[in-house]
Amino acid sequence: MSYFIELIVSGLVIGAVYGLVAMGFAVIYKATGIVNFAQGEMGMLAAYTSWSIATTLGTGAVLTVLIAVVVGAILGLICERLIMRPMLGEPVLSVVLVTVGLAVVLRSLVTLVWGASPQKFAVAGADAIVNLGGIGMRVSQIAVVGVLLLALAGFWFFLSRSRFGVAMRAVAADEKTARLMGVSTARVQSVAWAAASGLAGLAGAFFAVIYGLAPTIFELGLKAFPATVLGGFDAILGSGVSGLVIGVLENLVGGYLPSTLKEIAGFVLILVVLMVRPFGLFGEKRIERV
Amino acid sequence: MRSGFFKQKYSDLVVLTDSPAVKIWVALLLAALLGAPFVMSSYVLSLMTVILFTTVGALGLMVLTGFTGLISLGHVGFLMLGGYAYAIGVTRLGLPPELALLMSAIVPAAFGLIVGIPSLRLHGLYLAITTLAFAHIVSAGILAGGKFTGAGSGIMVERPVIFGLNLSSDRAFYWFCVAMCVLAVLVVLNLRRSYVGRALVAIRDNDIAARTMGISLVRYKLLAFLVSAALTGVAGALMGMYMSIVSVEGYPFLLSIEALAVIIVGGIGSVLGAVLGAVFIVSMPEVFSALMAGLGGRLAEVMTTSAHEVKTILYGLAIIAFLRFDPRGLRGIWHDLRHAWVFWPLRY
Repeated sequence: MSYFIELIVSGLVIGAVYGLVAMGFAVIYKATGIVNFAQGEMGMLAAYTSWSIATTLGTGAVLTVLIAVVVGAILGLICERLIMRPMLGEPVLSVVLVTVGLAVVLRSLVTLVWGASPQKFAVAGADAIVNLGGIGMRVSQIAVVGVLLLALAGFWFFLSRSRFGVAMRAVAADEKTARLMGVSTARVQSVAWAAASGLAGLAGAFFAVIYGLAPTIFELGLKAFPATVLGGFDAILGSGVSGLVIGVLENLVGGYLPSTLKEIAGFVLILVVLMVRPFGLFGEKRIERV
Repeated sequence: MRSGFFKQKYSDLVVLTDSPAVKIWVALLLAALLGAPFVMSSYVLSLMTVILFTTVGALGLMVLTGFTGLISLGHVGFLMLGGYAYAIGVTRLGLPPELALLMSAIVPAAFGLIVGIPSLRLHGLYLAITTLAFAHIVSAGILAGGKFTGAGSGIMVERPVIFGLNLSSDRAFYWFCVAMCVLAVLVVLNLRRSYVGRALVAIRDNDIAARTMGISLVRYKLLAFLVSAALTGVAGALMGMYMSIVSVEGYPFLLSIEALAVIIVGGIGSVLGAVLGAVFIVSMPEVFSALMAGLGGRLAEVMTTSAHEVKTILYGLAIIAFLRFDPRGLRGIWHDLRHAWVFWPLRY
């Protein structure tokens, strides 16, 4: 039984990381209608950059997390301004493929600059063990779940209460009408990119602290796809929660079934879900009128 | 005297081209390709071999993504299936190489049908993710296959004797690749201009309108997957023969991206685009590293120590640059050049 609970708890930890990345996917999809395939790479670059900054300055835990968010957001803004903004109004296929290109470039850039060997992202106090009802957890592991919950609450507040969140939903619902109402699509897009990359930065940094810093962090993006698809590309909160589901599922499969299945458990799950609900669990059903 | 472009015989209507100039150029190109092994160094020859089977694979993706507009991020899955179908056919089942090569088209095609079924319900990016999932599942399946698939260590493949041609020399393998590439080009060219090809393009441009015109979406989307997977599978088998081993590491996920880069850089939706794109993408890193070596010093050092990274950055930048500045790709540039040449000194 304790084995089962341990699997669930560690599943929630990795699931929280997936959830943060998946929320980023959903934010960009909701605001601009495209999937950013460079999400995992953004997280990786942000994690490496914040690692460099944190080790040179010797910052504390909270500050390191903040640095990761800010670095991620700035990265997102730069990419949006330089690469995505000129693609506004191009066909979806082209825009998505541009993000694929961006992903490839960022991935190699990280290896080129920081090298391929894994590093230790040491943050003061992150490895301290806390006993939670009989299960030993590291502070960083508890923190990442907490951060996901905070992010979920924050986004819920942002989307339903703040003026800008409403503008974002308006653009997602009907871009043309939103523009007629005076909403700047370009600004919505850049905020969405900044927010998504900030989330990716958080996810990347936490992943690096918990599991080690290596140029394979970008696989977070691939691993988080099932979460986004499960929740529905346009469901930001749904994607965050689905991250937890995928994380727990992966761990349970890995714990009780052959380990090769662990890698693909999420993908198999979404294949099944997509056959039944092609728009995800919480996604908006697409209705076409001819 | 000929006063217009009138077709007088039915055979005139079905020929691929009626222009003598095109015929002469194609004949010259073919002659050059066939004669290349006698003049080229073995390094250039192997590069050209890579270009040839890349073209076959790119044509496969072109049918699916370029013609039908279904984005696939999982083409490496078909590539892997093709390579493994061939290797397993030859080594485990003891099939003659000709039959094994046929298997390398049939097995991926069958899987293509399976992946194609969700495509009937899924739109755009959801489909891209599904194909991505498919590629992961294929590689996990091969890793879990134990002795039969060689699991992590892969299967060694010897160069076979096909139709009496011993492929063990690089020269013979090159000629074989030329033949396969020409065959693939002919298949796709003919597919594109037939009813099927027009139906696929109609689905790409507007699937609802296509359906209203009486095109069965089920049938043609599945057909696109079938043809695409078969072509890609053959490319995978050729790749396996070229490397003399099929293994999961031999077909990295990056190949899916490379294939997309080929068709984007070449020009989406055209056969010429796939060919030009393959030539460009495969030779670009080589040309670039030669250039860097020429400049010497620090840059040459970076090229040798992290060649793989520089190569991938170049792919990425090529994809971004072409999509950003000229979405028509190399084919568009070629068109402009040809126009400029024909109409000079006039602009139009």
